[in-house]
Amino acid sequence: MTDRIRDVWGARTPFAAGQPWPERTDRWLTVAEDQVERWVPGVCPLCSTGCGVDVAVAGGRIAGVRGRAGDPVNRGRLGPKGLHGWQAVTSASRLTRPLVRTGGELAPTDWDTALGLVTARSRQVIDEHGPLAMAFHTSGRLSAEEYYAQAVIAHGGIGTPHLDGSARLTATAGSALAESFGCDGPPGSYRDLDLCDTLFLAGHDPADTQTVLWSRVLDRLRGPDRPRLVVADPRVTATAREADLHLAPRPGTDLALLNALLHEILEHGWADQAFVAAHTTGLDGLAATVAGYDPGTAAGICGVRAEDIRAAARILGTAERLVSTVCQGVYQAHQATAAAVQVNNLHLLRGMIGRPGATVFQMNGRSSDRNARETGAGGSLPGFRNWRNPAHVREVAEAWNVPELRIPHWGPATPAPEILRHCEDGSVRFLWVTAANPAVSLPELHRVRSVLGQERLFLVVSDAFRTETAELADVVLPAAVWGEKTGCFTGADRTVHLSEKAADPPGEARPDFDVLLEYARRLDLRDRDGGPLPGWESPEDAWRDFTALTRGRPCDQSALTYERLRATGGVRWPCTDAAPEGTERLYTDHVFPTRPGVCESYGHDLATGARREPAAYRAEDPGGRARLRAAHHLPPHEPVDGTYPFQLVTGRTAYHGQTRAWTGRVPELARAAPDVWVQLSAEDAGPLGVSDGDLVRVVSRRGEIEAPAVCDGVRRGVVFVPYHYGYWDQAEPGRHTRAANEATGTEWDPVSKQPLPANSAVRVERIASAATALAHGLADSDRQTDAPPPGTLTGDVRHAETARPETRS
Amino acid sequence: MTGAGPAEATAALIAETHAAAVELAREFHRTAERQAADHGTHHPCRTLAAQCAAHAERLRAAAARHGRELSPPRAGDPLGGALDTVRHTASELRGRHASSGELLLRDLRRLFLAAQEVAVLELMLVQVAQAVRDGELLAEARALREETLGRIDWVRTRLADAAPQVLAVAG
Repeated sequence: MTDRIRDVWGARTPFAAGQPWPERTDRWLTVAEDQVERWVPGVCPLCSTGCGVDVAVAGGRIAGVRGRAGDPVNRGRLGPKGLHGWQAVTSASRLTRPLVRTGGELAPTDWDTALGLVTARSRQVIDEHGPLAMAFHTSGRLSAEEYYAQAVIAHGGIGTPHLDGSARLTATAGSALAESFGCDGPPGSYRDLDLCDTLFLAGHDPADTQTVLWSRVLDRLRGPDRPRLVVADPRVTATAREADLHLAPRPGTDLALLNALLHEILEHGWADQAFVAAHTTGLDGLAATVAGYDPGTAAGICGVRAEDIRAAARILGTAERLVSTVCQGVYQAHQATAAAVQVNNLHLLRGMIGRPGATVFQMNGRSSDRNARETGAGGSLPGFRNWRNPAHVREVAEAWNVPELRIPHWGPATPAPEILRHCEDGSVRFLWVTAANPAVSLPELHRVRSVLGQERLFLVVSDAFRTETAELADVVLPAAVWGEKTGCFTGADRTVHLSEKAADPPGEARPDFDVLLEYARRLDLRDRDGGPLPGWESPEDAWRDFTALTRGRPCDQSALTYERLRATGGVRWPCTDAAPEGTERLYTDHVFPTRPGVCESYGHDLATGARREPAAYRAEDPGGRARLRAAHHLPPHEPVDGTYPFQLVTGRTAYHGQTRAWTGRVPELARAAPDVWVQLSAEDAGPLGVSDGDLVRVVSRRGEIEAPAVCDGVRRGVVFVPYHYGYWDQAEPGRHTRAANEATGTEWDPVSKQPLPANSAVRVERIASAATALAHGLADSDRQTDAPPPGTLTGDVRHAETARPETRS
Repeated sequence: MTGAGPAEATAALIAETHAAAVELAREFHRTAERQAADHGTHHPCRTLAAQCAAHAERLRAAAARHGRELSPPRAGDPLGGALDTVRHTASELRGRHASSGELLLRDLRRLFLAAQEVAVLELMLVQVAQAVRDGELLAEARALREETLGRIDWVRTRLADAAPQVLAVAG
């Protein structure tokens, strides 16, 4: 096997449309293979793809991984994070004992003391301020069972609507699907990538963010019938370098670009009129809106050439089997849902959904964002139930055996950024953060730190490591992680895997599931008959309870038992008695879950987020047709000006996940991308006197970042900073000039409420030359001085592999 | 309006609607500045203030077609700008106090009433346009009223979401 750090996507295994993606088993062990005592099935926890993995155990410890050859998601492959990331589990810096703040310092204690304190404070806050003073900031990487326990405890036991978390950072995926199709749930499967003849990637850079998925695409691109590839992204990513056509719109203008593409589709008669007439509503409104976005007009708004828009529309308009993917490039904008919905519209206009090789993916960021939304810990009620539908609320109340009025359903579950606002205004007094690091991942960090650090807020943090957020906590609880606990994870194409326990957690660390259950017992949460709530003991009990609650819903998993998952590996929902093997694609009958009694949401105004009233929705009952939703482009709220002439966008590298709590502790990954960098275009760098490697400062109205410059890889007017880097590994952790979110502002999409750590107006100042910066160690970290600037470290190797004479930008 | 002919009455109604729309734009703008620390109110109110300003401009065009020149609200008033800064700063300072929630509800209630005022005037405009068989005015009045109802939807949504946290948490 080639080195997956230098060769991120591995050797090519080309294949043609309709052939199975060839298997290739990637493995990485720290012991000889014959020393492996057993292989424990699991799923890779480090991105949303959901690759099947076998975990090697030697001497009672995790000692390596290999991809599962038969798995439908990865066919044996693993990316750099998947192969190496597991080593964080065995890191010496794991938290092994609970910590309690005494005299300003976090000091070790025992579980009884720590949980006693958490419970006493919860009780006090509920008694003095009521249940709405209690809040939970959850994760994007817990198991389904852990999210479900949180949903039962917060919504059914305590009765607070404040349960949300990292999944909100890609919430636009669920919102866009619900606006168009009535309900969240990715319609297609990764198998559609094997079958398509055209690919459209909108704001999605799988080469960096979902490397195994990108391997699959590369193998199609190198196969005998290469699909056409259109990429829309302001960055010249490794993904974009492969494109037949790369559109690089100004950040925040995707909606105008997509409206123009739809304008061309309608103008040239590329719409499937029979499909649109039979299976959609809203064509007139969409046509009237996009009429104003001819390619010339959109070209002016987006800063791309009109002929490129026309060419892209022709490719998309003449595709016979079209797969589109949408991700953070579109979601991290002020009109995220409105733009993401237009890609759904493209598929509806062209009838490209619910059949082999024709689908749209609204992608996720984290390994279990999907589970947070399905279980009721990410905005909706469990099973994608609609909080405005009294029948849906009753179903949940009956399943939990609690009074309907205890379940907060006067409004949607509170989005994470609004929870932070309630902590700021003092109405929330207790916040429990599980497996998340908002002190680095949320925008406008000086504000986040000051809100979380308030005296009047009791902050509990459950994590495996002492994160930047844990440093602000009153109580820190050491958590077991992947490989040390059993639970289900669902990837971006609905494939559910059971991830089994392979080894014991270190010291006194415990699974969050066990801790949550003990918390519920200590708080004495009870159902209507006085029984304990939740009533279960094990993750399998919780899974059985949750899957029973999905019966009859679009995400029906009522026949998906641990037993079946153990016997077959990954299974795509719906998995029912009628379809016990799972379901490859949704909507094959072109009936969508939009009926008022079924739908997850009655919809929103895409420009403002205003909710449609139930009566208005019922009056226009879409009756199982998908909804074509339209919106006009609006300028961003913080336009560039003379003082702040650039737009900041943030994103990922292939080597790190989230805020590096895991990947930063893995030597191979830490070395591959050791520190933050700033990317700007060569045209913009020249007049600023900035060359590659120079130390620069990126300044916004809210904060600043210092990092070496890379003068390549983005369109003019754009500055890119990876968002992974925080302060736990810094010599001076109090010097806040490293995290990208120092410079970003507090704003969110009005529909999905996804925060926007992008589109801030910034300026760039040169601090020192590359030579001076290196000589004086001005970049204050463990950066390797013999290496080229971060970001270019492995860039040449990677791009050499993908360089093709016909690519253009 | 007694004694005036239908043409004058229609023009006067358009002028009254315009005045209400200008006031609504102002209310959205002021609320945006007063709620600078409440981002879920601040940013949508800025968007809606801009939409209302465009809305008022369309009413001015309709008035001109009915023989009446209406002047646009004064823009870039230096004193207004200074007041905005004061409101914005005061709001950020107040953002940490429990009273900020009550002020938010007060602002949203005021917005709701101001938007209702525009909506009822536009309802009257729709009715009059039909009675005097003015197809152009009817289409425009219907479109404008749809927009106003959308703004009311936003205020209702925000008020419904904000009220419980302000009123049901004991201080």
